[in-house]
Amino acid sequence: MSAATEEILEHLDAVSFVAGRDAREALPAVTPLGEAASLRYLEAGRDLFFYDREAGKAFFHATPALVQSFGGLDPWLEQARVFLTQRGTFRAAVGFFEQAALVRKDYGLEGEKIWYEEGAAWVGRHVDSAAAYFRMPVARLFGTFSAADLRTLLAPARELAKGRLGLASYLEGAVKVRALCGLAGVEDWATRGRDILAAGRIRGEAWFRLESDEARGFLLEVLPGFRTGPHKRLFALLLQAWTGLHLPFEDGDWNVEGGRSFLETDGRSLFVPAVMPDREEAILAFYHTGAHLAFGSYDEAAIRALFREIGSEHPPLDADQRITWRPLFAQFGADLLRFQLIFDQLEDLRVDLAMEREMPGYLARLLRAARAQTPPPGAAGAYWREALQLTEAAAAGRLPPALAALASESVGIVDAFRLALERYASTDLPPITLAERAAAFLPGHSPNAARPVYPRKSSRTEAVEMDAGGQLGAAGHKEKPREAPQQAEGNDPDLEIPPEDIQGTGGRVGVGIPMPAKVHGSGRGVQGPKGGWPYQEWDYRQQKYKENWARVHERQLRERDEAKAVEIAMELDGTMRRLKKALQAQKPTRMAPLRRQKEGEEPDIDAAVQFVVERRAGQSPKANIYRQRRPLQRDTAVLLLADLSTSIMAEAADTGVRVVDRLRAAMLLFGEALVEVGDPFALYGFASKYHQEVLLYPIKRFGERFDGRARALLGGLSGRLATRMGAAIRHSTRQLLRSPGQRRLLLILSDGRPADYDDGGDPRYLQEDTRMAVREAREQGVHAFCISLDPRGGDYLPLVFGQGHYLVLPHIDQLPQRLPEIYLRLRGHG
Amino acid sequence: MSQHRDNALRYVSEEPFYQPVGNELGVFMAAWGRRLPVMLKGPTGCGKTRFIEHMAWRLKRPLVTVACHEDLTSSDLVGRFLIEGDETVWQDGPLTRAVREGAICYLDEVVEARTDTTVVIHPLTDHRRHLPIDKLGQEITAHPDFLLVISYNPGYQTVLKDLKPSTKQRFVGMNFNYPPAELESQIVMRESGLDAERSRQLVQAAAKARNLKDQGLQEVTSTRALVYAGTLMAAGLAPLEAIEAAIISPQTDDPELGAALTEIFQTFFG
Repeated sequence: MSAATEEILEHLDAVSFVAGRDAREALPAVTPLGEAASLRYLEAGRDLFFYDREAGKAFFHATPALVQSFGGLDPWLEQARVFLTQRGTFRAAVGFFEQAALVRKDYGLEGEKIWYEEGAAWVGRHVDSAAAYFRMPVARLFGTFSAADLRTLLAPARELAKGRLGLASYLEGAVKVRALCGLAGVEDWATRGRDILAAGRIRGEAWFRLESDEARGFLLEVLPGFRTGPHKRLFALLLQAWTGLHLPFEDGDWNVEGGRSFLETDGRSLFVPAVMPDREEAILAFYHTGAHLAFGSYDEAAIRALFREIGSEHPPLDADQRITWRPLFAQFGADLLRFQLIFDQLEDLRVDLAMEREMPGYLARLLRAARAQTPPPGAAGAYWREALQLTEAAAAGRLPPALAALASESVGIVDAFRLALERYASTDLPPITLAERAAAFLPGHSPNAARPVYPRKSSRTEAVEMDAGGQLGAAGHKEKPREAPQQAEGNDPDLEIPPEDIQGTGGRVGVGIPMPAKVHGSGRGVQGPKGGWPYQEWDYRQQKYKENWARVHERQLRERDEAKAVEIAMELDGTMRRLKKALQAQKPTRMAPLRRQKEGEEPDIDAAVQFVVERRAGQSPKANIYRQRRPLQRDTAVLLLADLSTSIMAEAADTGVRVVDRLRAAMLLFGEALVEVGDPFALYGFASKYHQEVLLYPIKRFGERFDGRARALLGGLSGRLATRMGAAIRHSTRQLLRSPGQRRLLLILSDGRPADYDDGGDPRYLQEDTRMAVREAREQGVHAFCISLDPRGGDYLPLVFGQGHYLVLPHIDQLPQRLPEIYLRLRGHG
Repeated sequence: MSQHRDNALRYVSEEPFYQPVGNELGVFMAAWGRRLPVMLKGPTGCGKTRFIEHMAWRLKRPLVTVACHEDLTSSDLVGRFLIEGDETVWQDGPLTRAVREGAICYLDEVVEARTDTTVVIHPLTDHRRHLPIDKLGQEITAHPDFLLVISYNPGYQTVLKDLKPSTKQRFVGMNFNYPPAELESQIVMRESGLDAERSRQLVQAAAKARNLKDQGLQEVTSTRALVYAGTLMAAGLAPLEAIEAAIISPQTDDPELGAALTEIFQTFFG
């Protein structure tokens, strides 16, 4: 070691113990390059360390890898000096040192040069941008593209920098857009983004982060491939038909891996990408994912067994009680992806074989789709071909003996895991990178451990029997808990009266000031008996009624929004007109014969006989001997009871539309249709807050006109509080019994199962009570029918309302159109 | 006033094919033994009418079938006066004839009829076995072999037209549903003349299609629809065309639902 190097090392020692130590540790990697090189190296390190401690540390730490990867100090040592040119570049420097070796190895000398130059240009322009650039994992930054393409990717960013948009905002979005629609797409996207950015900063940033509807719309417009949006219902239907599963759909994110977007599941919902390559692949994806769900890839018992295999008693749960998969693969370290893929292939094969038993020709269809693809290059190709061969062998019934067990009905995910371990030990499949992985899957297949999952209780729920009330809430019911009303305080705009048990507990205006126990203001609506109408409530645990337990209060809604009502009416104009036309067209068929008429289309035989007889007997009877057909005044009265609980303010899972918006429209359309039909009707909303405060909001009572006031109330509808459905049904039944009409229909519109703050978290309690309320109503001649927006409604609605007395609307957008239709069908024609 | 008769009551002369699914023959025979009225419940096209024809044949009793509809009144069932020459003549309605002559009277889809008709059948359904005929001022006692059978389809479109519990309780209830796959494919094969393989496929596909019950289908694919499809296929129509014509098109107007059904059947016949 020369005196010069020694001097630098001592200098470093003097400045910092860490600096000296790290430099000495790194030096042996450089020494073989010769004295001059070592000196040059140490000088650069010293400069960096003095310039910024973190940058220097990263420099020394990365040295061995860098020297090995570059085979020397060039050109990275010179490149590193760019970080000395500006203040505050250490984050960028750390990113550079950590990744440069990898870039050199994977993308060559030229690739590294481009990568460096693109970033270095930003050091002068905008230090934070440079940091964002160098810190972005290169596998993501390059994706499946070449280094030259990196220039193209970044070109628009220079222009955007003038609009003060940093790379941090640009890159994330750009990489996703590139994966989705290629480099040309990025250019379009950036060009449009520039205009939007000029129009408004927040809007522009949201665009570049792909968070705004605008950006979403753009991607949908330019993306090649099959748009899943308009076909979600078809997929839901197919999934239900083949597997019996009703799962809610949610939007998958734009995060695509290597240009492929995958259908994913967390065991409860399906995350549907906006665009998939084509319809066939989309359908296969739904079938395949459905097979995973139906055949136990996410069964709780199976997953527990799986974790026992690796010696872990309990699968690790995240904050949402979802199982995280990572520990299962952690033992494979850097070879994790390789094992995961092998495991995925065998587990996919297992469920595909199970699906084939349900759906003949499924494997053949999968093979057709796969053969139509071009096999991917490189390592992914090896896996892809392996998966194809396995599927071919499976379809032909010629699985290799080691894997033959997968075709048996009794194998589960644990068996697939064990087989995967064996296979992993013997296979010569090449290592694979994350960027390549996506291409390794056959059409419709995807990484099975893409998301943490909510374990499923059992793979197949038995068909529930009618009136089997005892099964409510029993094991096997799995669903996302309804947004539990945690805080009873507040958020009822119409509720002025604090319930007794929270009085004085804070949170409300006027706390501490003595308040009257009851407020009787103008327009408070019918108060009924003091303290509300008392109703019984069924307690299934005691198997008896709690007398006078629930108290129903009628309240007037206060929010009115005429403008909104008009707006909705305008929007629905087409539908409304079609509906009215249909109703008018239907009228002639809704005819009933009137007997003993003076004129008419056909003779009334009974009347004619009587006429003849009386004439013969010498009398002169009136010739009322015809039957005439005239529209019949139906004797059906209907009360529409809408769930106004807080959850209606939420967006429906797969639409981006708030439930309440469709509810308003649906009720307006329903009102208009009923006016046209001429049946007596009433519109009520309900909400609740403990058993003493079940609130019914009359929007239009029987006998009232459906006028501007009612429309304005509908326009102003909003959600509040919880859903004590039983008491609301009992009170509505009471209203219906006083209505005109001999047939009485109670239409309930809800978006979830009954719940209230005081149900103790037991979903079954209020469900059982609702079931009893429906039964009581039926005994009094009121037919209850529930229209639910809850995709899992099929699990409990048959038990509550009885078979055939409910309908699950899978798509909230259909609600306005469907509601009047459903009513007309229920009441029958004629 | 004289008894007016036209042609005789209809006997079922040839054995109608009926494939028992459970012990429905036994239950029916027991009810018949005590002359208890029977109520057949079940979805469209699952074999209710065929069953009763088969039983009529087996018991060698004439069968009077009345398809009930909205305008059906009690006099349509019981009878009315007609003019014949110079006199008025009473003509028995189908129910009265069955009561007098000891036939099986089958009121198909009874909930469709006007409510006054159910009042008429009440006294026939208990131990009295009487039919009051107001217009004649008579009350006739049923023939010892008379049996009343009603059917109804508890589908949701008749929520408002449900039978009253008091009426329902007067009947021996028999639940019908689509038969298990094995039997159903035999039925399709037998009824349509289609080969065993394709009959089996039709039934398998239908089992999947029936999972779509709550999704806007008022009625799921019935055995009858399968038989129709099978018949068309046996007559040489391409399978998917036959399915479209006999199953999908009659069942739904909803394009998405139609696409889903097509997709399901295509899997078996694509």
